[in-house]
Amino acid sequence: MAKQIRQPNEIELDNKHHGRRENIRRGVIRFRSNPLSVIGLGALLILVIIAIIAPYVVPFPEDAAGNMRALERLQPPGAPYYFGTDHVGRDIFSRVLMGTALALKVGAVIIFLAAAIGVTVGAVAGYFGGWVDDLLMRITDIFLTVPALMLAIAVTAALGKGITNVMIGISLVWWPGFARLTRSLVLTIREEAYVEAARSVGAGPARILLRHIFPNTLSPIVVKMSTDYGFAILTAAALGFIGLGAQPPTPEWGAMINDGRNYFPEDWWVATFPGMAIFIMVFSWNLLGDGIRDLLDPRSDR
Amino acid sequence: MSLGAYLVRRLLQIIPLLIGLTILTFVISRVIPGDPVGLAAGPQATPEIKEALRHEFGLDQPLPVQYINYMRDLLQGDWGESLYSRRAVADDLRAYFPATLELTLVAVFIAALLGVPAGILSAYYRNRAPDHMSRVAALFFVSFPAFWLAMIFQTVFGLHLGWFPIGKRFDVRLPPPVTITGLYLVDSLLTGDFESFRIALSHIAMPALVLSFASLASITRITRASMLDVMGKDFVRTARAKGLPRRTLLVSHVLRNTTTAVLTIIALEFGWLMAGAVLVETIFDWPGLGLYAVESSLRLDFQPIMGITILYGIVFSLVNVATDVAYGLLDPRIRYG
Repeated sequence: MAKQIRQPNEIELDNKHHGRRENIRRGVIRFRSNPLSVIGLGALLILVIIAIIAPYVVPFPEDAAGNMRALERLQPPGAPYYFGTDHVGRDIFSRVLMGTALALKVGAVIIFLAAAIGVTVGAVAGYFGGWVDDLLMRITDIFLTVPALMLAIAVTAALGKGITNVMIGISLVWWPGFARLTRSLVLTIREEAYVEAARSVGAGPARILLRHIFPNTLSPIVVKMSTDYGFAILTAAALGFIGLGAQPPTPEWGAMINDGRNYFPEDWWVATFPGMAIFIMVFSWNLLGDGIRDLLDPRSDR
Repeated sequence: MSLGAYLVRRLLQIIPLLIGLTILTFVISRVIPGDPVGLAAGPQATPEIKEALRHEFGLDQPLPVQYINYMRDLLQGDWGESLYSRRAVADDLRAYFPATLELTLVAVFIAALLGVPAGILSAYYRNRAPDHMSRVAALFFVSFPAFWLAMIFQTVFGLHLGWFPIGKRFDVRLPPPVTITGLYLVDSLLTGDFESFRIALSHIAMPALVLSFASLASITRITRASMLDVMGKDFVRTARAKGLPRRTLLVSHVLRNTTTAVLTIIALEFGWLMAGAVLVETIFDWPGLGLYAVESSLRLDFQPIMGITILYGIVFSLVNVATDVAYGLLDPRIRYG
């Protein structure tokens, strides 16, 4: 019965795949055992759905794009304005929901830009060592000398007001954390036998970094990305609140709170609902990030 | 290495960092696409007026010359002057910094006071109800936008309940405490003026509490993690095996060995909170660097922005050195070097 005898490499291949599937299955079980991260993930899925469908379902989508109703200004919550209206008569419910997509996008852009810069800097510094490492790490240290928010305010102010510059400004001060993390990971991984093997068969630095080192640094980087996401949104909202961020009529939550500040607390709804939206978004990310940290970061002791 | 030599070496190491920081802020502030001079001169300003202003501030010179001039002045204690108010930046920083420092110190104190016990509780009841509760609480509080929470607190506890004043550092109808350090709480205690202390405390309570929330999560998490780390060590098992009372075990074996980790995170959070103070200060009308930073950045008034950034850099670096020195004092196994 020669057919039943399997080739050794075939068995190995099968086991490898089985092992990976098993790891994912265990990961899912571990993730599900933490009710908080499940709640965070669920809330985020709902927020993503809201972000996608908001333009089609909110009662006044035009209010996110410059429409005003001078006669309906500062109406308290109640139909047809569930969250009330702001100082120029825009429906806050519509604007808060329409702002969800922007908040998600701002967080994503900041985190991916910061990670791209930081991982590149950290990987190059860690892999090449020597004066390259010294130079890059001293530059990183300079950025870490000043609290990120303060530097973000300075950079964004210099670039000019606007949501794009907020994203650029925050990314430019957010990368050092990723650089430090990646460098420390690369320092250990580059000594591994498989990296030595790749080098001995003639693989160049770019190939080694991309194919052999980078995949093995991914878990901690993903953990940091997920735990930072909420704080990136919070920082962007802070710059919006200061007045450096999205300009009217963009429905940016931080800027909306700034709008409502002058009418607080008499017309409390103008600032309250965007603030609650920020809280729900950031809290969801933090719950999810906490769960992902437990899952992927072997150093976190659970 | 002796403590003195270590201290000198660490302080010397700050200097290149700060020079790097001045270059960074200088580049940021001079390569801006906006027109700060135009903003400062006003919309009616003629090109001649703008040119005169540019010349007065030395902005018509090549960038390297401008930088050297700036550094020369800085080393002589001249931090430049505001394009807008024409006030010396050094005077403004001197006036505003103590308020921000006091607010940040009290906030860090509150954060540690709440976060460290929460972390201990979490580790002690690992994976049981108190653990989950303190973790959720920490994540909950850190998720609020501080400026928004400040508005809510101001309204609820200040306006409606009347428990705290709604803003400012001190009762405006009264003279503030005699200035010694510039920190009202410290100055009033030094002069034995307990009524002023009470007033200053009631003013700082709400902004400091709101600010402290931002650091709760990380302090709780690090305390918990380092507690669990130590609790898994052999010497703790031995101590438990020989029948040491739980309290002694917890205090002198476990807590004693988590101090460095907890101290690190508290020092790190100090910097974060000092930046976060920018937002809280604007709501509570706190006369610190926050309002100054926000207004300067909106006006592209780059001399104050540079001054504030460099001041933050100096303070943050000094806090880091102080932390490293404290390690050695707390943990005799650590040698300076």
